[in-house]
Amino acid sequence: MDAFSKLPDELNALVESFKSHAAWGNLQVGVTQYSFYMYIACILLLVLVFRFCAKQKGQLVPKGRFVNAMEYGVEFVRDSILSDSLGDTWRKHFPFLATVFFFVLINNMLGLIPGMHPGTGCIGTTAAVALMSFVYFIVVGCRKRGVWGYIKSLAPKGVAFPINILVWLIEVFSTFLRLITLAVRLFCNMYAGHIVMGTFAILASLFFEPLLQQVTAQALAGSLASVAWIAVLIIIYLVEMLVAFIQAYVFTLLSTVYVQLAEQDD
Amino acid sequence: MGVIGYGMCVIGAGLGIGLAAYAAATSMARQPEVQGRLFTVFILASAFIEALALIGFVVTLIG
Repeated sequence: MDAFSKLPDELNALVESFKSHAAWGNLQVGVTQYSFYMYIACILLLVLVFRFCAKQKGQLVPKGRFVNAMEYGVEFVRDSILSDSLGDTWRKHFPFLATVFFFVLINNMLGLIPGMHPGTGCIGTTAAVALMSFVYFIVVGCRKRGVWGYIKSLAPKGVAFPINILVWLIEVFSTFLRLITLAVRLFCNMYAGHIVMGTFAILASLFFEPLLQQVTAQALAGSLASVAWIAVLIIIYLVEMLVAFIQAYVFTLLSTVYVQLAEQDD
Repeated sequence: MGVIGYGMCVIGAGLGIGLAAYAAATSMARQPEVQGRLFTVFILASAFIEALALIGFVVTLIG
């Protein structure tokens, strides 16, 4: 097949286009294509939230699709992420964790619109969000027990003296590993998902190309194959919509579990 | 070479998700009333496992 021989070059060009390029300014001072869409997502989120607050203020019973949809989202975060694991103290941590959830969700969702990039498809953004939730649960732990108390509490109680230090070291290592896994999981999901979608889009266009130049029986057969590629692309697109939501959910759920671990009494 | 390595990494992830789906399906068959909760747990577990496979994919492409 002629189309398959062109695929590696096209794929390299695709992977190259997913690296950070300066959309404005340069890479030191400026906006890359990822941070550009991240700003758009932030503005969109602010507009949505302020409109929601303004609309909801006057009414005791929420009316209208917009207000109800937003309330459903907020209640989803409260019921199925926060109060399950945090219990009574969920109210204290709700502002931060809900912000993380909606920020990640709107970035993932905006990236799915063809031609746009997800703000979370770049390791810088996800590392920043992960660092914030890392600092957050450490500060929560330090407030609860004091700095020295939190450092000591990393090792479980009831372990004999020499093993104690080893366990503490492993726990410290795994605490820092949380930061890396949070960032890398979200980044890899977004990056890989968009590469896979791009691959099938490229395949569809490569198989359709001969038909545009010359109408022959072979070109027609190739364009039939490209219909199949588009069908696969649509299925993967639907899976990516699910992934965009699940990754926001997983990110917030893990941050919640870390906060709960830092806060729990033992 | 990297692509072969990624293929081997997918074996592990596939086994993991398969085990999770097997356990979820048997538990749902035994106790259909916990279906909703089990489904969430299953999706979460597969998200964790899938992330490992995706890390392999991205490292293949970047590295």
